[in-house]
Amino acid sequence: MDWSMGGYGFYVWGSYLCTFVVIGLEVFSLVKRKRACAQQSKAEPQERLRGPESSYVAQAR
Amino acid sequence: MNLYKYASPTSFYPLAGKMIPWFAIPAAILFLVGLYVGFFVAPTDAQQGDAYRIIFIHVPAAWMGMLLYVLLAIYAGIGWAFNARLSSMMASSIAPTGALFTFISLVTGALWGKPTWGTYWVWDARMTSTLILLFLYIGFISLQASIDDTRRADRAGAVIALVGVINVPIIYYSVQWWNTLHQGATLRLLEKPTIVPKMLAAMLIMLAACWLYSIAVVLLRLRCTIVEREQNAARFAEAT
Repeated sequence: MDWSMGGYGFYVWGSYLCTFVVIGLEVFSLVKRKRACAQQSKAEPQERLRGPESSYVAQAR
Repeated sequence: MNLYKYASPTSFYPLAGKMIPWFAIPAAILFLVGLYVGFFVAPTDAQQGDAYRIIFIHVPAAWMGMLLYVLLAIYAGIGWAFNARLSSMMASSIAPTGALFTFISLVTGALWGKPTWGTYWVWDARMTSTLILLFLYIGFISLQASIDDTRRADRAGAVIALVGVINVPIIYYSVQWWNTLHQGATLRLLEKPTIVPKMLAAMLIMLAACWLYSIAVVLLRLRCTIVEREQNAARFAEAT
């Protein structure tokens, strides 16, 4: 494989770099959000989380 | 087995958690395989040289941007019509990933346009309608974020999603309806592909990887949305 992409390296590698940076940011932000959810639910007193759906919070811990 | 029970966020939450690795791991493997086939197996194009290799990410990203918008509109419409909370949450979870793929298609398209057309951007029908798609995603996300009541936010989002879906066939047929700088469709459903099988294979593998990735991240975001909405509802109930 010609790593310089026949002189088009900036455009080709730039495209893939941009793609994987954006995808990486999405995954990173989602993992961060998931952790924040889990921490928030730990901080909430259990008795506040009433109702039939409080099982999500228990599972998120 | 009663599949209808999975329409409830309570039942779907653990199922979504179990499904995520089944999509995320194959997505990572297919991305690597697709890149290998695209860069090491597919030949250099006779006209565009190696610049054409942008196609392996540009076309799958453009398709994902359109297909995810259609899915978003379907889920938002079901959520609105049947008051199905999980459908509305699914629509909200799809939007950021759809916006991300549309953004990738615009950036990679611009980077492909410079060496082949001599410009990063022109206001032709395909590119302009794709930019409108990105604005529709941003509009959907912003509108939902601006309304505190989640049920009202879901209904308002559904309106913009259903009205905006008309833009998807416009994007697809823009290269036929108008005289555009953008080339015609690379693949058509009912016609024989015109590109080399190795190039086609790389593109389809990358498309499969993008699909699997999208499902995994949407499910992950959906789980966060379910938890956050419950926490907000509990706080709201306590405050009133």
